[in-house]
Amino acid sequence: MTTNTYIGVGFSSHADPLEAAKIASSQAKKQIHQKKPNLIIVFSSVHFQGRKLLEGICYIFGENTNILGCTGSGVITEAGVLKYGVAIMAITSTKIKFGIGAVPQINKDHPRESGEQFARSALKNLGAHTKGIGLIFSDGLIEKGSELLDGVKEILGRSFPIIGGSAADNLHFSKTYQYYNKDTLNNALIGTILSGEGIFGYGLKHGWRPLGRPHIVTQSSGNIIQKIEDGPAIEIYKDYFKKTLEEIKSLLIQISVLYPLGIYLSEEEEYLLRNVMHINPDGGIVCQGDVHEGSQVRIMLGTKETALEAAQQAALEAKNPFKHTPALGAIVFESVSRINLLGHRANEEINIVKNTLGENIPFIGVCTFGEQAPLKSLEYRGESHFHNEAIAILTIGERHALAE
Amino acid sequence: MPWLNDLLQQNARLAEDIFYVMEPFLFLVVIALAVFVLLKNKQIKKLQNSLRDLQRTYQDLDNQAKLIIKTDLELHKTQSELDKKMSGLYTLQKISRILSTTLDENEIFTKITAEHISELGFDKAMAFITSPRQSSSPNIIPNIKSKIGYNDKDIEEIFNNKLTKEIFDPVINHSHVISSLDAKIHPKELSSIVKILKIHSFVCAPISTKEGIIGALFVGSESMFSPITLGDKEIISILATQIGQSIENAKLFEETWRSHQELEIKVKERTKELSRALEEINIVTKRKSDFVSAVSHELRTPLTSIKGYASLLSAGKLGEISAPVKERLEKINKHSDNLSNLITNLLDISRIEAGRIEMKIEDVNLREILDTLADLFAPQFKEKQIEFRRDLPDGLNTIPADRGQLQRVFINLVSNAFKFTPEKGKITVRAKRIDNSVQIDVEDTGAGIKKENLNKIFEEFYREDNEINQNVKGTGLGLSLVKYIIEAHKGKIWANSELNRGSTFSFILPLTRSQ
Repeated sequence: MTTNTYIGVGFSSHADPLEAAKIASSQAKKQIHQKKPNLIIVFSSVHFQGRKLLEGICYIFGENTNILGCTGSGVITEAGVLKYGVAIMAITSTKIKFGIGAVPQINKDHPRESGEQFARSALKNLGAHTKGIGLIFSDGLIEKGSELLDGVKEILGRSFPIIGGSAADNLHFSKTYQYYNKDTLNNALIGTILSGEGIFGYGLKHGWRPLGRPHIVTQSSGNIIQKIEDGPAIEIYKDYFKKTLEEIKSLLIQISVLYPLGIYLSEEEEYLLRNVMHINPDGGIVCQGDVHEGSQVRIMLGTKETALEAAQQAALEAKNPFKHTPALGAIVFESVSRINLLGHRANEEINIVKNTLGENIPFIGVCTFGEQAPLKSLEYRGESHFHNEAIAILTIGERHALAE
Repeated sequence: MPWLNDLLQQNARLAEDIFYVMEPFLFLVVIALAVFVLLKNKQIKKLQNSLRDLQRTYQDLDNQAKLIIKTDLELHKTQSELDKKMSGLYTLQKISRILSTTLDENEIFTKITAEHISELGFDKAMAFITSPRQSSSPNIIPNIKSKIGYNDKDIEEIFNNKLTKEIFDPVINHSHVISSLDAKIHPKELSSIVKILKIHSFVCAPISTKEGIIGALFVGSESMFSPITLGDKEIISILATQIGQSIENAKLFEETWRSHQELEIKVKERTKELSRALEEINIVTKRKSDFVSAVSHELRTPLTSIKGYASLLSAGKLGEISAPVKERLEKINKHSDNLSNLITNLLDISRIEAGRIEMKIEDVNLREILDTLADLFAPQFKEKQIEFRRDLPDGLNTIPADRGQLQRVFINLVSNAFKFTPEKGKITVRAKRIDNSVQIDVEDTGAGIKKENLNKIFEEFYREDNEINQNVKGTGLGLSLVKYIIEAHKGKIWANSELNRGSTFSFILPLTRSQ
């Protein structure tokens, strides 16, 4: 079988963003046999964001290179999770076509519209090619992440697989960056639709387990839960953590990423997780994704062991479609909550992913504030959702078992 | 309507009849129903109790969940701190490894990069060198050695603001490690300070060397979500100490390096001087050898004529000569012989020195040489009643040497011994094997040599100032010639002596032939 697609990766932690980009790009270029890439994926820690980083990439790959990517609280390479550095993936393919789209400013009041706008522009750029999978990168600080994704799904189809990550910073929760060709953007949604059938795999899992009794959401609108069991929504956290409102407020980020709310979905294997971003004056809680009225929610608890198991399952799901020919490369979206939970065992998780996917498969990844992926494996054609605390893996290959 | 009344009456009677017939059955049904209701009630009560139990268990489980979450939160907090400490220690070890190989004071600071600071969990850092006098004076910006996350304008603002002295002064003047966790500063002031420093939390630790505190290391975190811990304070304090030690090492290295360089320069200069001196000596030696050789040749020809004519005259071939003339002629002959010996020795020395005489190494029978020597000196030994002993070990028969030159060595050493040994004395030639060499000692029971002169006796023309030398003529070249011959054999010669007890001249010759 002739190879149509080449994927190469590179990494650098050189203090100068221009040099770091050049070093990482050169490594990736060597692996794609010095070919012209169709797409460059770039992930970096916030230290490297800016014009110089993208100039460095263009210096190696040429002026009109398609660049997509974002910042994260860390970047992932086969060496593990690194808080400081630049990771680059170069993809060149005669088979896969890329329909790139970008919305430089997300409409924060109506993010659905921005999602739709992105999907339309990406579809237009893809042309008549069969759409295979959507890959998106968005600002990780927008509160209505689900609505944004809903907009994309509205245009591309509810069962169309979309995978991606919400950009992060170094846990300051102040500003995240998205890379789009030569521009470094904030508050943007960028991405691409990749064409082709039977050449993509994906897996997503989180490993958090429900604890305590289920609670019914009695009043909610979009991503805001006003009432749980007719009381202010924040009471659930006050009750479980035996802390005052002020204490909860000061510990909100730490508590929320470790003990998110889990929404029970009858047709899905895992609970859908929601981080709490703010507490409204009326005691309502603002989540990163939607929570429907009448949903059953529970406090979720993650352990290192279940998280590591989940990573292996996600990698297996992403790998399984390529039973006969291994995948050519993979992109990992890893929630910052997992890094927080796993602590010094975070690299163990990356090792599990590496060993499960296969030793020689090039991959890069980013630590995100939110992840987008279908809940179930390819066989189920599950709907894409906005997630927290998850690890989402996209694999790209030549042709997998289902398509043979 | 009469027919309707009849019908109603008939029905009433029929109903009455049925009731009378069914009465016992109805009674039984009512009883059965009552029993059923009673049983059901009991079952409901039982179910209600079970439900209450279940609700209580459910609530207990929920309460347990709350307990688990609370414990888990505490556990996670501890584990996070531990993780942060571990990662900090790992980074610290990495930095230490780099610093320990850095021996340039300025380079030490550049080796701590933004990556390291980020790995330690901080966003900004600066290191500066100052003196206590400087730090207490306002508006003086110290010598900033490294800044990460700050520009020159930030630095100017930080050090121009009196408030920041609340942090830096205790560090520089009292060697305190100050952090936002425990700074003894009013919360209002602290919040202004962190604003000036553009951070949320910080640690500042002194950098000290043997001379005392020379500066400070400051690190800060911008994020309110990653506050510093006590572990951070310890790690930054260790890092600052490590920087101080590295500076100390760099200084020591520089001093050592400088003195090493100076020493090297001196050694080079001396070596040059010595080389020059050696060159000059070689030139002078060559000139001397050439001169001696030329003069000796020039002297030998007329000397041969003098000796020839003296012999002719003495033999009376040119006519009879009187006894006094004959006596004078014999003196001329004798002195000519002495002069001839001197010239021969001088020529040999200059030839050996110039490498013009090649040692013809062959297997020489030592015993034979010593026997010949005994025969040669037998009349003299007899005259002075000197005992001549030869002590050779079994198995040492031959040694590799130039036969003629070795004979000269023995003749010189034995005649020397003879000269200084009084009557009835003893001269012993002893040989012994040492590894791959042979050591030969020529021992006498003579007058001995003063210790301070032992090193000089092998010098050319040196004659010790003693009674015997004053009476017995000599050239002062015999031992020099011996030394040259031994060294030409790749051997070594030396002497031991005790005044009035005797001397031992020892030499070593290799038993293996050199290539």
